[in-house]
Amino acid sequence: MHTISSVVVVTAYVTVLTFVAVRARAALHFTEFSLAGRTLPLALVFGSLCATYVGPAFSIGFVGKGFESGFLFLGIGLAYAVQNILVGLLIAPRLRSLKNCHTLGDAIGQKYDQKCQVVAGIISVGLCAGFAAVMAKAGGIVLTDILGLPSWSAVIIVVAVTTLYTTFGGLRASVITDAFQFTAFAILLPVTLLLVLLFHLSGGAATFVKQASDATALGLGSTSLVNIVGLLAAFLLGETLIPPYANRALASRTTRISRNGFLLAGVFSVVWFTVMISLGIAARSIVPKDTGEDYILLTLVRYTMPAAGYTLLLVVLVSVIMSSLDSLLNAGAVAFAEDIVKPFVNMTDKTALNIGRCATIGIAAIAAAGAVAVPSIISGLLICYTIWAPAILPALIIGLWLKHPRPLAGILSMGVGTLIAIIFQFVSLPIKIPAILMALCVALLAYVLGHCIARPSYLVPRDSLDDGRRTMDE
Amino acid sequence: MEVIIFIIIVIAALLAIASGIWVAIALVSAISAHRDQANKENNH
Repeated sequence: MHTISSVVVVTAYVTVLTFVAVRARAALHFTEFSLAGRTLPLALVFGSLCATYVGPAFSIGFVGKGFESGFLFLGIGLAYAVQNILVGLLIAPRLRSLKNCHTLGDAIGQKYDQKCQVVAGIISVGLCAGFAAVMAKAGGIVLTDILGLPSWSAVIIVVAVTTLYTTFGGLRASVITDAFQFTAFAILLPVTLLLVLLFHLSGGAATFVKQASDATALGLGSTSLVNIVGLLAAFLLGETLIPPYANRALASRTTRISRNGFLLAGVFSVVWFTVMISLGIAARSIVPKDTGEDYILLTLVRYTMPAAGYTLLLVVLVSVIMSSLDSLLNAGAVAFAEDIVKPFVNMTDKTALNIGRCATIGIAAIAAAGAVAVPSIISGLLICYTIWAPAILPALIIGLWLKHPRPLAGILSMGVGTLIAIIFQFVSLPIKIPAILMALCVALLAYVLGHCIARPSYLVPRDSLDDGRRTMDE
Repeated sequence: MEVIIFIIIVIAALLAIASGIWVAIALVSAISAHRDQANKENNH
């Protein structure tokens, strides 16, 4: 009976999702595939940004952290809110104001040169595939729990459904389905919290606050200062302007919408973390103490909801994951077509669209295969964070603010940052400084070195410049 | 103090639900706008 109700709920959800995706219409031009025609309104930019960052770590992971360490991770999560707000105030409007810009690589290409664009494109595609592999693994875990399928077939189902609508609809389908999925989880998980607080928590507010205080003290006692600094750095920098966020900044209807979308997404992250952490704290008096961190939310919902409600929430968890996966597949595909292929091949709009679609399928296949190699959800995400921040952020942020950034500085910073971050995955540091901060410092030093030894682009004769570089008279 | 923390958490849950409803309304508008545009293109 439980299996039948599960299948009915899953089928109904997939049907509604397909209806929404079909309504989004297939992309007919590359600009629609990559930027949804640059027509996104504020609510959709906001919903899609939130749906993209609320993945397994910010839902299942945060509930587990609330259970283990109370409000400690709410404090750490504030760094993520600060990051979104700073991006909204300082970077997103500058990015949106660039003309003919489809990707971060495009932005870097316009500010530096074409070589930098290709390097940024390779890093973007690699990181999107890495993040997508982590999402595929998480989707597989949840779907296995719902339908009892083998892990590999659950991964294939999640990746195949997501790839289907992303390949044809591009960013528009991704944003529309993100909004649908956001609606589902932004309503159902807080409703679950309210139901647990009102009907399942014996002792009311006093018990809740006592559990929160005990767990927070336990969390602070068991986490070293270095760990807290490392986590703050990862939350502040690790996901800053990863390709799917940059695509949404670029696809906003106006510069103002781009800025406000990030500001609201930052504020929402505080609200969301509060809800997730509170679910974890409430679970302390309901769920057995020996339950694994990643299974707290699932166990809590199983104990407090009827069978159909439990299945519905599991489906919502799959959609939490799918909404992140579709954004990563689309962003990776657009970066591949725009930053890696376009600089070398003069292609028509239709060819670019087809290359984007093929790349979506290719990245999805890599993600499904790579899901097997992902050690765990959190460690997989931390590896991607540690590489992304030093590889791209110095070149991108300084490039957007300097009047005449120098291509050698960009290339050195991206190359050295990526290399050092990858090396830190295999070599443990002798001093206890978070790898992301060390790699970021090295990337910044490489940038400064490149900037000092390179000739300013406005002094280089026009004949020797690449397409993307400016001259003095420009 | 206990009651204040409890109220803050309930307000956070309500704000999250309100955000979901706001995006749902925008989603319905976007879908009908797309349908109108598609009908217009078909008529032309």
